[in-house]
Amino acid sequence: NDCYSQSYPQLYEPGQRSLYFSKGAFIKCALHSCYSSLVLFFVPYAAVRDSVSTDGHDIADHQSFALLTQTCLTVTVCVQLGLDLSYWTAVNHLFVWGSLGMYFLVTFTMQSDGLHRLYASSFPFVGTAHNSLDQVTVWLTVLLTAVLCVLPVVVHRFLFMQLNPTINDKAQPPPPRRRARIRRSSTRCSGYAFSYAYGYGDLVTSKRFLRRPVPLRSAGSTPAGRSAAFRPAGRSAGYSPSGQ
Amino acid sequence: MKAGPSRTNRPDNTAFTQQRLPAWQPILSAGIVIPGFTLIGLAFIGVGVALFVTSQKITDLEIDYTGVAATSPCFKCTSFAAENCMCQMEFTLTTLFEGPVFFYYGLTSYYQNFRTYGVSKDGYQLSGDTYYFNNPQDSCAPYQYDSNNNPIVPCGSIANSMFSDTFQLYQVVNGMKKQVPLDGKGIAWWTDYNIKYSNPALVNGSFANAFSGTVKPVNWSKPVYELDPTDQANNGFLNQNFLVWMRQAALPKFQKLYGRIAEGDYAQGLPAGNYTLLINYSYPVISFGGTKKVVLSNVSWMGGKNQFLGIAYLVIGSLCIVMAMVMLIIYAKYKFTDDDEDM
Repeated sequence: NDCYSQSYPQLYEPGQRSLYFSKGAFIKCALHSCYSSLVLFFVPYAAVRDSVSTDGHDIADHQSFALLTQTCLTVTVCVQLGLDLSYWTAVNHLFVWGSLGMYFLVTFTMQSDGLHRLYASSFPFVGTAHNSLDQVTVWLTVLLTAVLCVLPVVVHRFLFMQLNPTINDKAQPPPPRRRARIRRSSTRCSGYAFSYAYGYGDLVTSKRFLRRPVPLRSAGSTPAGRSAAFRPAGRSAGYSPSGQ
Repeated sequence: MKAGPSRTNRPDNTAFTQQRLPAWQPILSAGIVIPGFTLIGLAFIGVGVALFVTSQKITDLEIDYTGVAATSPCFKCTSFAAENCMCQMEFTLTTLFEGPVFFYYGLTSYYQNFRTYGVSKDGYQLSGDTYYFNNPQDSCAPYQYDSNNNPIVPCGSIANSMFSDTFQLYQVVNGMKKQVPLDGKGIAWWTDYNIKYSNPALVNGSFANAFSGTVKPVNWSKPVYELDPTDQANNGFLNQNFLVWMRQAALPKFQKLYGRIAEGDYAQGLPAGNYTLLINYSYPVISFGGTKKVVLSNVSWMGGKNQFLGIAYLVIGSLCIVMAMVMLIIYAKYKFTDDDEDM
């Protein structure tokens, strides 16, 4: 937000140095796409090759294979998207889970018996979703594809955060929480106690400390490592409060 | 703040419009990533072991009967002059082949997924619309009209190339051949049989009359209304073998269900012994370098025999655990180096 932008002008450096939109970044993106494309085709290919369904019927037919690859793709994209989202607000939850849900809803509707009866030539995939999405191997293939596409990204990001942290990883918010813990003198916080410490001017003059703070951040985000809680790798869609 | 016209343009001071929505911020911290990878690795190894063990227990038997080699019993059927040629392949089972046993025919180098081949059919004809019997769609070309300009039913390349070999399986018991019954019912998808395809209505009580004015596909030996004269529910477009063939395969090496062995003396499976497969060889594949085979297989909760998923899960699970350890080492090394620097 605007406070961070003024206190940490180094955050503008990646933009000026074209760190995130350069030939190198593009080549990395292209390589990741190539790898994902190969995984998204060859894993379903190998999984249904010479295989049959649990009641002996065909599972390697053209329509089932297309549906399987499509499902792998959608789930992988949603998982990768979830990984890239920095802030999960209610709106983000709605759109990510909603996308996945809409995909299955539309697939089952388009491949239903009713629509085929109405417009036979437009809906030739009748019965495919029903017949192939109840196979355990289909879901295991989807899971395997999603994991194969996303986990290398997680490893890459984690290792780079440890070995070569960018300015975004290093930037830390002002530390009122840490100081409050160290002090431990009384459980009642008064404006007077904080007014002598650096960075509390706004807090004291804004009267916010008088009201009981509402916890705005739920669990799961306290880091154990040295990189602190400020980590937007992309655009932040929501607002992350600086800790009250 | 001055009141005035500018006040009316202010957005509402709600959490949504001022971007103050409560947010959860996932962070790739070591406390989450490393245990997460370990858990995923262990789960994948568990699933991989289950898949691999199950796949090993499934038995399948392939009998190639293309007849390329001169010593093969079906070699005599490979010449073009041979018509209605019968050949016999023999095989032996050393242990009980547990049932229900599924009987497939398999083809290789057969590209049912070729684009122009795949669209070469008339969905209206196949759903029993008689208008299209006399006016097949252009997508069926060149199997739309025959040389005398008669419309072909069912038109198109997929229907024309229907697999025409038939099989009979016998067990040799005390020198006598005992037929193993092959159940051909229900081998196609329920939706194909009941929804997607339907026969035209009878004309004057006769099924053949519904197809008057049309001719059979070029490569077929009998017209579509004679595919199974004994059972009207299996005749015409609803013939199970026809439906199985029309469900085009995605890959050039495929197998299609021909029948089920699950009745009578063979309800428990095929007992050990000598078997003879009698084949009516009429489908030519050698000209394009394909092969034909018969596959006998049983199934389990994961479907047919497929080693790939089990091995893939085991490999990925192990890799996850290895990566978790690598990340832990790197993280620990850099954390302790950093702590030293801070002091």
